[in-house]
Amino acid sequence: MTFHPKMAYDATFHKSARTLEDEGPPFVYTPENRARFEEIVKRYPPDRRRSAVLPALYLAQDQAGYITANAIRYVAGLLSITPADVEDVVSFYTMFHTKPVGTFVVQVCRTLSCALNGAERVTESLTAKLGIKPGETDRSGTFTLVEVECLGACDRAPVVMVNDAWHERLTPEDAPRLVDDLRARGEAAVSGCHHVIEQRKP
Amino acid sequence: MDTVTLTIDGRRITVEKGKTVLQAALEHSISIPYYCYHPGIGVDGSCRVCIVKIEKMPKLQIACSTVCADGQIVSTQTPDVVEARAGIFEFLLINHPLDCPVCDKGGECPLQDYSYTFGPDQSRMEFARRTFDGEGVRADVDFGPTLMLNRNRCILCTRCIRFMRDIDGDAQINIIDRGYGSEIATFQEEGVHSLISGNLMDVCPVGAITTRDYRFKSRPWDNPEAVDTICTLCSKGCNTTAWLRAKPEWAKGASLIRFTPRFNPDVNGYWMCDIGRFEYHWVESEDRLRRPLVRDERGVQQPASWNDVVSRLGDRLVQAREGLRFLLSAHASNEEFFLFSRLAEKLAVAESARGPREDSESSSAAARASGGGAPRAVNNARGPREEPAPPTQQLRWGGEPGPPTRQPRWGGDVPLISVGWRYRPKSQPEPATFRVPPVDAPNVNGARSFGFVGGTLADQVAQADLSAIRAAVEAGQVSALFVFDPGPEGSIGDTEWILRARARGVLPLLIVQGVLLTDLARAADFVLPGASWVEKEASYMNDQGRLQGVSRAIPLPGEAIEDWEILVKVSVALGVPLDYTNAAHIRADIATRFDDRKGFEGLATLEFGRPVAAQNWLQASNPSERWKWDFMFQDLPPVKGAVDPLAVPMPAGVIPLREVK
Repeated sequence: MTFHPKMAYDATFHKSARTLEDEGPPFVYTPENRARFEEIVKRYPPDRRRSAVLPALYLAQDQAGYITANAIRYVAGLLSITPADVEDVVSFYTMFHTKPVGTFVVQVCRTLSCALNGAERVTESLTAKLGIKPGETDRSGTFTLVEVECLGACDRAPVVMVNDAWHERLTPEDAPRLVDDLRARGEAAVSGCHHVIEQRKP
Repeated sequence: MDTVTLTIDGRRITVEKGKTVLQAALEHSISIPYYCYHPGIGVDGSCRVCIVKIEKMPKLQIACSTVCADGQIVSTQTPDVVEARAGIFEFLLINHPLDCPVCDKGGECPLQDYSYTFGPDQSRMEFARRTFDGEGVRADVDFGPTLMLNRNRCILCTRCIRFMRDIDGDAQINIIDRGYGSEIATFQEEGVHSLISGNLMDVCPVGAITTRDYRFKSRPWDNPEAVDTICTLCSKGCNTTAWLRAKPEWAKGASLIRFTPRFNPDVNGYWMCDIGRFEYHWVESEDRLRRPLVRDERGVQQPASWNDVVSRLGDRLVQAREGLRFLLSAHASNEEFFLFSRLAEKLAVAESARGPREDSESSSAAARASGGGAPRAVNNARGPREEPAPPTQQLRWGGEPGPPTRQPRWGGDVPLISVGWRYRPKSQPEPATFRVPPVDAPNVNGARSFGFVGGTLADQVAQADLSAIRAAVEAGQVSALFVFDPGPEGSIGDTEWILRARARGVLPLLIVQGVLLTDLARAADFVLPGASWVEKEASYMNDQGRLQGVSRAIPLPGEAIEDWEILVKVSVALGVPLDYTNAAHIRADIATRFDDRKGFEGLATLEFGRPVAAQNWLQASNPSERWKWDFMFQDLPPVKGAVDPLAVPMPAGVIPLREVK
């Protein structure tokens, strides 16, 4: 868009430090996810389709493993909103990953109740056991360690969420054992009783 | 009208029901700071600085979202409000860089103004400020083709987000990340691509969003002069302010430094489009016509004096007078249209006085059909005319009835005067509430009032229809074509056919009165340099049929003179002199001749903007807050710090400080 040939467009140009979303491969829902999306969207009034943005993004994340820029464009197109609106949501919630993650995403709560009950020592213990810092994925692609804000289980602090289930009252001493259990028994090792996304479970 | 009465700071105030406390206070010149509220994009309640105390409410309330109720007692100056407000300002300024001296918003920045007025006197922040892209102006990043973004300065008022969502209709901006890391961003750093993106600079209350066009070009206090005018680049007629650089006349560079919108609820609201805002550089470009040009015997355009041009034009035109046709741009003002119609009328009278000709049969029939023998100066923009033109389309010739006139010789279907404009539909998102019209000319409705273009003032304007004049020119029936184009290049529409006719040699004489050395002007035999819309006082009729005036902001370049003056000279050259001495005289004449014509009421008393006096720069300053001065200006001194405390009379009984021993 040029308005005048002499208009100075060559102002000093610096790239933002902000990391852009990974473009990723072209994204479309699988037929099952598409059918599930249509079912979810029916729960909202026709003029409030944008309200389905969270479940639509969960579906996209379950399908591709993490949210890519192409997935954001696709979801935005389905809901008739702009990609900026969707990115707003994606970047706000820690449950959405914009980078590839491991099989188990270990999310340590660091908000007040958990922090008072020693959440950072749990993080330290997990860091030592897994050999990765918060925000990183281990080399085998099994574990991703992240620190997140309140998980809503303050009565059983400190709490760790592995994928979609809580592990409550996790002491720093128990943390390595949880990792071993996860390696041995998979998600069955998690004690949590609340599942964030009911659809994921068979 | 339902009203409620409330008390703010001890003043009883009656306002319309449904207004908020903040609106009530602003309307009554009570200062409450605010950032996220904007009358054009509504209430958000995210900045919190408009907090006030309302009696019987448990906590301090934000004035922008509290609706006025009867009997409310609001106070804005109690110690708890003052303290809480200062606390909020301290938070707003925690990460805001102190780069006001290099910030483009400095001097017209609401954050600066309000922080001085309401904020704490010093910061307790002793940690490093959060930075996003770098420090200082290095943090300025690309934000689309027209804007730059400095995220460090952003206070997250979300005005830009709401502007894009509600006014532009395409929510391209959003807040990315959360909490301390929140920042304004577009998806994948694509930037803002919008036809009205320049308004984001106006709504931004800090220096986060600036326009590339104005960046680092000036400071508001250095450029005290600003003129209220209107934009003429399309048929909307947005009210604008033209900002002038303070520089000696001999200094190099342009005088115009920016255009900002001026609030007019009936026309443009608070906004204007990017075309009007950024496309003004041609006015002072190298391509401007500065001297009259005449093509000499060798076929080269040579500069000439006005007297020389007029006498030579007269020599050429008197022979070609019969086949003379006018092609006007719809950028012509009402005054200029009027002079052309007077000229056409006088020419027709003069031609008919020469006596009948052989082939008068068909043309006199056409003249009768067009009503009482007046020259048919109607361009058939609405298609073929099966019926006589309605009286509103006819020129009401003043004064001289004269002998029965007839169309000049090739009169049949070739109108004396044709009006052209560019029709260019703009692509905007469907929900956009500020729409830019497709007609790139300000005065199609003026041409309708004078009967040059068919249709009524309320009709939609379509493409200009120049087929009649084009066919006549291509058939070699026009011996002289007078083109009047005071707009930017291309705004008259397609002119290739004129150039082709010139190349083929079927158009013996081409006269161009305009402002830019376009290809058309290069092909002309006579080039008459006129005035652009910022160099004259003239009136236009926008697509609502509303009469508005442009103001003279800058002087004319070189030997260029105003267009009405050129037309008077041309009329003398044609042997049909018009006797007007100034533009106001012309307006008065239009007003008397067209007093019954809808649209010209108030023409004679139209007011034109004058440069704002230098000491009142603040009044013209602050484009984002400019609308506010209508309410609030009397509340503030005209110049910051200009009130000399010693000049203020001491209250009785107070001993002046310096006399205390």
